[in-house]
Amino acid sequence: MKCPICKKEVEFGAPQMPFCSERCRLIDLGKWAEEEYRIPGPAAAAPAVPAAEAGEEEEAE
Amino acid sequence: MSNPETYDSSSIRILEGLEAVRLRPAMYIGSTGEAGLHHLVYEVVDNSVDEAMAGFCTEIGITIHIDDSITIVDNGRGIPVDIKPEVGVSAAEVVLTKLHAGGKFDSNTYKVSGGLHGVGVSCVNALSEWLHVEIWRDRATWEQDYERGVPKAPLARTGKAGNKTGTKITFKADGTIMETTSFNFDTLSTRLREIAFLNKGLKITLSDERTEPVRTHEFFYSGGIVEFIKHPNRGKNVLHDKPISIEGERELPTGGVLTMEIAMQWNDSYSDTIFSFANNINTRDGGSHLTGFRTAMTRTINACARAAGLLRDIKDANLSGDDVLEGLTAVVSVKLPQPQFEGQTKGKLNSDIGGFVTQMVNEKLTEYFDKNPAVMKRIVGKAVEAARAREAARKARELTRRKGALDSGGLPGKLADCQEKDPSRCELFLVEGESAGGTAKTGRDRRYQAILPLKGKILNVEKARYDKMLSHDEIRAMITAIGTGIGKDDFDVSRLRYHKIILMTDADVDGSHIRTLLLTFFFRHMQELITRGHVFVAQPPLYRIKKGKSEKYIKDDKEFTREILRRATENVYVLAGNGSGQQRLEGGELRQFLMQLDEFEQIFERLERRLRDPRVVELLANPAYAIDSKSDFCNKEEMQKVAAALKDLKLTVKLVEDEEHSTWGVAYHDETFGDRTIGHETASQPEYKRLRFLARAIEKFNRPPFVGVKETRRETIENWRGLIAYLKGEGTRDCSVQRYKGLGEMNPDQLWETTMNAEARTLLEVRLEDAVESEEIFSTLMGEDVEARRKFIEENALDVRNLDV
Repeated sequence: MKCPICKKEVEFGAPQMPFCSERCRLIDLGKWAEEEYRIPGPAAAAPAVPAAEAGEEEEAE
Repeated sequence: MSNPETYDSSSIRILEGLEAVRLRPAMYIGSTGEAGLHHLVYEVVDNSVDEAMAGFCTEIGITIHIDDSITIVDNGRGIPVDIKPEVGVSAAEVVLTKLHAGGKFDSNTYKVSGGLHGVGVSCVNALSEWLHVEIWRDRATWEQDYERGVPKAPLARTGKAGNKTGTKITFKADGTIMETTSFNFDTLSTRLREIAFLNKGLKITLSDERTEPVRTHEFFYSGGIVEFIKHPNRGKNVLHDKPISIEGERELPTGGVLTMEIAMQWNDSYSDTIFSFANNINTRDGGSHLTGFRTAMTRTINACARAAGLLRDIKDANLSGDDVLEGLTAVVSVKLPQPQFEGQTKGKLNSDIGGFVTQMVNEKLTEYFDKNPAVMKRIVGKAVEAARAREAARKARELTRRKGALDSGGLPGKLADCQEKDPSRCELFLVEGESAGGTAKTGRDRRYQAILPLKGKILNVEKARYDKMLSHDEIRAMITAIGTGIGKDDFDVSRLRYHKIILMTDADVDGSHIRTLLLTFFFRHMQELITRGHVFVAQPPLYRIKKGKSEKYIKDDKEFTREILRRATENVYVLAGNGSGQQRLEGGELRQFLMQLDEFEQIFERLERRLRDPRVVELLANPAYAIDSKSDFCNKEEMQKVAAALKDLKLTVKLVEDEEHSTWGVAYHDETFGDRTIGHETASQPEYKRLRFLARAIEKFNRPPFVGVKETRRETIENWRGLIAYLKGEGTRDCSVQRYKGLGEMNPDQLWETTMNAEARTLLEVRLEDAVESEEIFSTLMGEDVEARRKFIEENALDVRNLDV
């Protein structure tokens, strides 16, 4: 799998998995601490449907 | 002031006798072990290097003989041989017998000079079983022998030397004082290489006659320290191919000249390797020259980066010294008159020259950066990255730092802890949402169940939408509550406060996002909790079906459908088809047919969302056409049939050939939605395959019209859709069905009964594979691959609709 920070390949089962190094682990933890990780939700104003439909159309073409 | 070119006995001042050296050798050469032994060689070599630095010597040869005696020979001017009037012996004898005697104490003789302790070659003589000196000077050869520092005879002129000049000293260390007298070739080689690097153009040869054939290393670096740093940077990814080289000279107010030579090259590693030297001595503990260098680096790189507008993104718009030096390999070499060293190993330069080094580096590095802006940008980029990493690490530490002793137990305020203290019996519920948290707090068994509510949501003002995240305080509270700490050095599973950590989230998309966040966090930072089987996912019900006094909780849509169809088929049967072919469907057979129909309907809707026209989907689902595999699409005739059927739907249809794959597809035009093509790529979609599979499975009984029979009531139903709707209606007749949009809709008793009560609940244990999957989803969502993210969100959006059916 890939190190979440530097994208270097990390072997499954490596001691710091999924990180390649202590440094990358700390950077990641810092991102959690800084609230940088957000999973985008549906738009608050309009429902998510139109956006998704636009996407589907593209795909079908 | 004497002319520095005049190097005779007047240059040599006598400072002290050397009787003490044999009594307390360690005081003078550090030790009587291997380090001390090699030190003896360096003392002699340093004299030759002094000659080289003064510009009179170009070659130094060192030869280890078979009896572990050693010869150091140079082509310098030769030690002065004239008689020092105040002592009545030759200057050479003074140098070899008097402590602290030598040209280096007269800064006019040598502008700069090495010599670790300035104890000089007299110490070597004192600690040698025997020593032989040969000097070529003034066209003559001079020789003298010593035993344990005592001259056997005065220095004698023994022959002619022609134009040859230089000094040769051969000695054998005294085994009665030194613990070892055997030289290590590699030790000498390393140090001599260093000296050669630091004195570009100086050739140093080391030979070992103890081995057969004679082992020889020759060191000669015209590039000096610039070549030196390529050595430690070998095999690393360098940020710029050519090392940066800086040279400078400055008159010192105390007299003499400070020369500075610096070479540097950055690589993509995270540590720095900086060698510092003063007068060829490796100053392992740094000192004023290194401090001056670091100050200049920080200042200059910050100034250049700021001027180029590269610091906007980082905190305080300032790079620290550690940031700018990250990944740097450098050699800082200064030469100055009368260097002052300090420290146990004399590895630190104490002379007050830091300011001069700073000035020179500032000036020259700025000049270099002006000429090489691309290199500057790469170096600054690396430093900015380092600054960010450092900042992140600081934040990370804050996150896990335990609070002070004043805080009672240090547990987070939002945690509703349990009474039990034995972790193996304790459970921690991480509950999504404040209101569900409140319900869980009321509903739990407070003896052994603890509740930590997580809000998990934030309005992203910029994008006008609700994002899911774990706040700083929530993560902190979670880490504190769990108790194990975090990270390589800190994580201690024996401090785990609850052996079951249970994620309790809503059965909707938001809930799955919170679960993804939590599992990703555990996977990345508390993986052992997962591998040891401490993490679980609660299974709150999605539906409650109430009929009379009986209640049933159901965890997902599929089970819900199964349940209501089970109820419906208890007292309903179906007649399919007309006339003699009419079939009676009931019981298990009917249930199976209906379950297939239900899935067929869902898949149908999915494809309908893609293809827009339900009539087209209907047509594609028709088992009469052979349009399943890619090879079917090679059959033009079959595709013509499909095209004809589409034409009947009043669509504009065209048969198109995919030459690349030798297949045929049907393109049709829809007034509202434009052009679409059905080809082998359509057929490769899993939904399409499932549609075809289910269409075949239901074919046998899918013979409208249907008649639904319940007791005496008969109802005619036009098609399969109606049939599903009819039976679902029958299944929920006289029932009240509640679909929980969230945990908060349950009352405490219900939540306890369905989800928290250890006697009745089901928990899913999170395995490492589950967490890896979360990690992958999370990476996709956070990743830079916009296309992958769009697809994921889109598919997720489809699922939302399924859930909201």
